[in-house]
Amino acid sequence: MEFDEQNLPVPGLAVWKRVSPTQFRFTLKDSIQPFHDGSPFTSGDVKATLESILKPENASPHRGDLISIQKIETPDSRNIDIFLKSPDSFFPDRLRVGILPRKKIEEKHPFHTQPVGNGPFIFLLWPEEGSLKIKRMFDGQIFEFLYVKDHTVRVLKLLKGEIDMLQNDLPPELVSLLAKDQRVRVIKGKGSNFTYLGFNMEDPVVGRLGVRKAIAHALNREDMIRYVLGGAARPASALLPPEHWAGNQNLIFYSYNPVKAKNFLNQEGFDEQRLPKITYKTSSDPFRVRLATIIQRQLEKVGFEVDVRSYDWGTFYGDIKGGRFQMFSLTWVGITTPDIFHMIFHSESVPPNGANRGRFQNAVADQLIVQAQRADTRETQMDLYRHLQEVLLDQLPYIPLWYEDHFFAGNKNLEGYQLAPDGNYDGLSRISLNRKNKQ
Amino acid sequence: MVRFLFSRVISASIVMLGVSCLVFLLIHLIPGDPVEVMLGETARPVDREALRQALGLNQPIHQQWWGYMKGLLHLDLGVSLHSKRPIFDLLKERFPVTFELTFFSLLVAVGLGFPLGVVAAVNKGTPWDYFAIGISILGVSIPIFWLGPLMILLFSYGLGWFPVSGREGIASIFLPAFTLGFAMSAILSRMVRSSLLEILSEDYIRTARAKGIQEWRVIWYHTLRNAMLPVITVLGLQLGALLGGTVIIEWVFSWPGIGQLTIEAIQKRDYPLVQGCVLMISLTYVLVNTGIDFVYGWLDPRIRLSEEG
Repeated sequence: MEFDEQNLPVPGLAVWKRVSPTQFRFTLKDSIQPFHDGSPFTSGDVKATLESILKPENASPHRGDLISIQKIETPDSRNIDIFLKSPDSFFPDRLRVGILPRKKIEEKHPFHTQPVGNGPFIFLLWPEEGSLKIKRMFDGQIFEFLYVKDHTVRVLKLLKGEIDMLQNDLPPELVSLLAKDQRVRVIKGKGSNFTYLGFNMEDPVVGRLGVRKAIAHALNREDMIRYVLGGAARPASALLPPEHWAGNQNLIFYSYNPVKAKNFLNQEGFDEQRLPKITYKTSSDPFRVRLATIIQRQLEKVGFEVDVRSYDWGTFYGDIKGGRFQMFSLTWVGITTPDIFHMIFHSESVPPNGANRGRFQNAVADQLIVQAQRADTRETQMDLYRHLQEVLLDQLPYIPLWYEDHFFAGNKNLEGYQLAPDGNYDGLSRISLNRKNKQ
Repeated sequence: MVRFLFSRVISASIVMLGVSCLVFLLIHLIPGDPVEVMLGETARPVDREALRQALGLNQPIHQQWWGYMKGLLHLDLGVSLHSKRPIFDLLKERFPVTFELTFFSLLVAVGLGFPLGVVAAVNKGTPWDYFAIGISILGVSIPIFWLGPLMILLFSYGLGWFPVSGREGIASIFLPAFTLGFAMSAILSRMVRSSLLEILSEDYIRTARAKGIQEWRVIWYHTLRNAMLPVITVLGLQLGALLGGTVIIEWVFSWPGIGQLTIEAIQKRDYPLVQGCVLMISLTYVLVNTGIDFVYGWLDPRIRLSEEG
């Protein structure tokens, strides 16, 4: 499967039909290309790939997505019948994994160092970590990926012409610098990476709804977006952006209103003699620490006492999953399907069973999540997810902050590049170098 | 000499054993779970347990430690949890890269620091002395994570003399080596200066001058060798600092050495790889210091004779 602009699944390698509540038939398209090793792409390869993922001994991170599969049959070389353990109208959404050649799976080919596929690019070389070469099939153009850790060095390499393009992962001030340079073209696009504040719902301070509403009213997100992110984000009201098929365009976020924030705190019994104290954990990324100090200042203005603590990623992540926090900030990246609501907000998804790190327990939300997963039609599912997002905005297990934009910065002679909403590199299949301009 | 060598090898082995145990314990105390990092949050608990079992991470810590020590005795450092590649192979690829950077940095440090220190000592109290002191103050004050990008801005982006980053061609070693070596040259020049000044005030130097020996011979043949002992000590200690400094330089200049490998391994909680990297760095430290001991013996026969009893 692939996904369109609304994140609705569209046929990638195959079309499908639902034969029964627990059976799907996938038919490979006629236009399907053979694998790069020359072997034909057949239903047997799909079966072998999915079964390989489902084997526990292979420890695939994708196994959880496909666990509802009971068995797979291939009546012929173009058709695959997948039987599920229970009805799931939206099973095709989960088939996002790449397909591998059956013969190579049986030979235990080292796909993690020598990938083999049938897409627009063929793997060439991976001589060391931090250097990867692939070749575009239709014209033989070679692309080399270099891992350059330091932001400043990456920008200098682009300006000097040692690299032709870079995408994302730069502080906003460097993006602005590139945008002003005549040698470089910068393209920006709306992203769906969702930045938020998370709370421990079992904490005596932030576990109170009034305190979370006070925080929501105390944050001036527009100023943070304008001055810190350089305008490269848009305010969020929910996990899914409004253009997502399951997104809710009608959500109204809490306005920036310090007076209301103080009122909510007073209602919860806090005042100048008894300040609510919050420990705010974040990663050690300098940009995230900067944001944390700004949020700290905005909260202190309305009467919070905030202690910002930054940790290396492993320690920070361990604390978040272990529930050892009051408030933290993070970003969800690469969200495509609304299954994520179950993983993040259902009461049975507390770690290690999921990502409900804040221990959010809400019967209405649980019911809506389960109903949406079992819905028979896309329209019903849409309504349920929209209602769920209203509940989540009211209860604030997360305070949504923004969706960060994506950007591409490249040699001005590069043409045809299109940014994807999730920041992937699919645009490389169409990019070209205008050599006339270069001369 | 043989007894000297034997005693050094025994003490080095004991140090390595202690380091390997300490590293093993410390890495397991760091918060974070490599299985969580590898499988992500969508994995089911049963899948996490299966992977933990496959990697041996579900065993009691003392069993894991014993398995690790047995592997070490066979020079088997295990396999990286993430890349699945033998750690020995990864270290074999990366160590020469770091060694290259360290070696050239040392050349810069000695090439700059030594003459500066001699000039400062021989011309004490003159503008040359103040110039040398000024350079060394700059060297210890400027952090290398700032100096690195500044060097790139000036010499690579501005003048176009060197590549910005990466390890391609001989020109690419200059900026990282100079950045790392400059800081060390500052400390070395101060050490050479103070050590030389101490020796230059000795009676036998006054005697040599009184006998009419040329000044350059006094410095070269009568002063330098005796002044080297404390300098060699500092050099050995600074080599450790160089190895630590390569982590930052490898980050800034995208130099694919052990420093980068270690940081990535820690971030991913790749326990066996962290252990392998730290062992490698410790072994280098131990070998360097053992080498320094030999150089002492060569420089000062009194040390060699006293060790031999």
